[in-house]
Amino acid sequence: MKKNETIISMNKICKSFPLEIGGVQQVLFDITFNIQAGEFVAIMGPSGSGKSTCMNIVGALDTPTSGTYELYGQNISNMTSDDLARARNEHIGFVFQNFNLLPKRNVLDNVMLPLMYRGMSPEERIRRSREMLHRVGLENFETYLPTQLSGGMKQRVAIARALAGEPKLILADEPTGALDSKMGNEILKFFKELNKDLGITIVMITHEFDIARYANRLIHIYDGRINYDGPIPASEAVLVKKTNKGQK
Amino acid sequence: MTLNDIFKESWLSIGGNKVRSFLTVLGIIIGVMAVVIMVAVGETVEKEITDQFSSLGTNTVVIRAGAAQTGGVRSGSRQTLTIDDAEVIAKLPDVAAVSPIQTSGAQVVYGNKNWSTSMMGVYPDYTTVQNIEIEYGSFFDTTAVRNASTYAVIGPKTATELGMDKNPVGEVVRVQNVPFVIVGVAKERGDSAMGSQDDMILIPITTLKKRVQGSRFPNAVSMIALKLFQDADNSVVIDQISAMLRDRHRLRAGDDDDFQIMDMKQIMETMTTVTGYLKLLLIAIAAVSLLVGAIGIMNMMLVSVAERTREIGIRKAIGAREQNIIIQFLSESIMISFIGSMIGLVMGVGLSQGVGRFILGYNVPFSAWPVVLSISVAVIVGLASGVMPAIKAAKLNPIDSLRYE
Repeated sequence: MKKNETIISMNKICKSFPLEIGGVQQVLFDITFNIQAGEFVAIMGPSGSGKSTCMNIVGALDTPTSGTYELYGQNISNMTSDDLARARNEHIGFVFQNFNLLPKRNVLDNVMLPLMYRGMSPEERIRRSREMLHRVGLENFETYLPTQLSGGMKQRVAIARALAGEPKLILADEPTGALDSKMGNEILKFFKELNKDLGITIVMITHEFDIARYANRLIHIYDGRINYDGPIPASEAVLVKKTNKGQK
Repeated sequence: MTLNDIFKESWLSIGGNKVRSFLTVLGIIIGVMAVVIMVAVGETVEKEITDQFSSLGTNTVVIRAGAAQTGGVRSGSRQTLTIDDAEVIAKLPDVAAVSPIQTSGAQVVYGNKNWSTSMMGVYPDYTTVQNIEIEYGSFFDTTAVRNASTYAVIGPKTATELGMDKNPVGEVVRVQNVPFVIVGVAKERGDSAMGSQDDMILIPITTLKKRVQGSRFPNAVSMIALKLFQDADNSVVIDQISAMLRDRHRLRAGDDDDFQIMDMKQIMETMTTVTGYLKLLLIAIAAVSLLVGAIGIMNMMLVSVAERTREIGIRKAIGAREQNIIIQFLSESIMISFIGSMIGLVMGVGLSQGVGRFILGYNVPFSAWPVVLSISVAVIVGLASGVMPAIKAAKLNPIDSLRYE
């Protein structure tokens, strides 16, 4: 993977939702940022700030109302839902707060799922999925059902699934939100390793500054606007000050 | 996705909720089973009727004396048909065999036993007309008819009832004090549409009229039965006979026929049409339960889509396209209807053959019908009941689905 290759290019992204009582509610205002290959970025913001909507657009789960979003050089703003599905499958590995594993499929089947939709041969799927399970240290749990695993293990299965497709980008939505602090730290350290050792680009959504600190860059969203974009500040106070300023 | 993937995914999903899947499959089992059994019932009835008629021969025509019943008044007491009519009909080119028939109840006495049966005065050609085969001895010939000989051919059941030997040829029985020499015994052939052919006594028609009945009109007969050649056109021959008889009986234009012509082929065609409708009716009733079964699948699939909203969201998030989701849900509904249809087919055929053949003793025909039917049901019902839920699933928005609890 080339360094300094632009993975994500958001240009004046706006998103608004129609309201049932009529009119629209705008959630994102002119969001503009680029993310280069090999970065570890935390997108932070309180609930209601629009960071989830932002993540949905970054994750190609949703399209912006206006502005352009290029994912790995492809403009996804006007893609059909099938094209979006293909883009997600090829470029993005998702890690969710509540793991989102299929409860009735065993660990190996769960990891293989994105590869199946990619149309990979069954042998290749199994080979690659085993490799990923080995990487997350769960090679002995192939035949377990997710319900038989601890939260941390489930999240590692989810990471293995995200890695299996060898994506350019891992998009983690509150990956530690359902874990205790010890397991959460483990997962975050694992992300750090992936980023450092394999050069995988990671975008992590969180509302906690302590978690955001594992990243190298912080994008703070407040009321649908970018409030801060830069290296991790020494303390959260910087962000608070800025929001207060922004409100005035 | 390979076929194997699709199969595995569907199997795991169906197996994931065993009770519900079983109940849904049960709906299809009952539906297909009902249709298969009803088809078997219809086909059995049809076959029984066809068999009975074919034992008689479809190229048989029966002429009865007296007009058709009109307005409740039947002027049939007069015997309008004569042996001469039969002789004239016999000369028609399309007619293979003719026999005038006079029936009479008869108390047959043999030694110290007696048995009440039906006595028929006929011509030797009666054997051809009614497909009668002779087991022992032979049928009386035309000389016996001319001489009004006291020869008789009896049915096998009559012989048994009278306590006769296996081969009673040469024995003497009495009917109204007239002694008859048994010259032949008919071969057993079971019941037919015209009643039992095994319990009867056949004698020359002249003997019956003159010696047994002592009739004042020895020439009059109640029926004439005839057999046409295989390639004859029944309706043409019947028109010819009708015209000829009207002429012979000196009926004027506008007069009603003083005879009735029954064409077995036509009767059988009518019967076949009736049984065809009966079969359709039975299948239609059974098809309702199949429809209910199909609605059951659709219902289950809709519930399943709602329940698995989150799963659908996950699949879409990690790259499932709409067609992947549609195929997944369609293959589930097809698998359910396929399993149901196959079990229904086996149970339906098993029950109809088991009960029909071995308990009720009917010769239930095997046919390809139920197999074709169940396979089409599997595909059509599966597709029809799965399409709407599958499209609904495919159109789900991944964001909302992922958030769905």
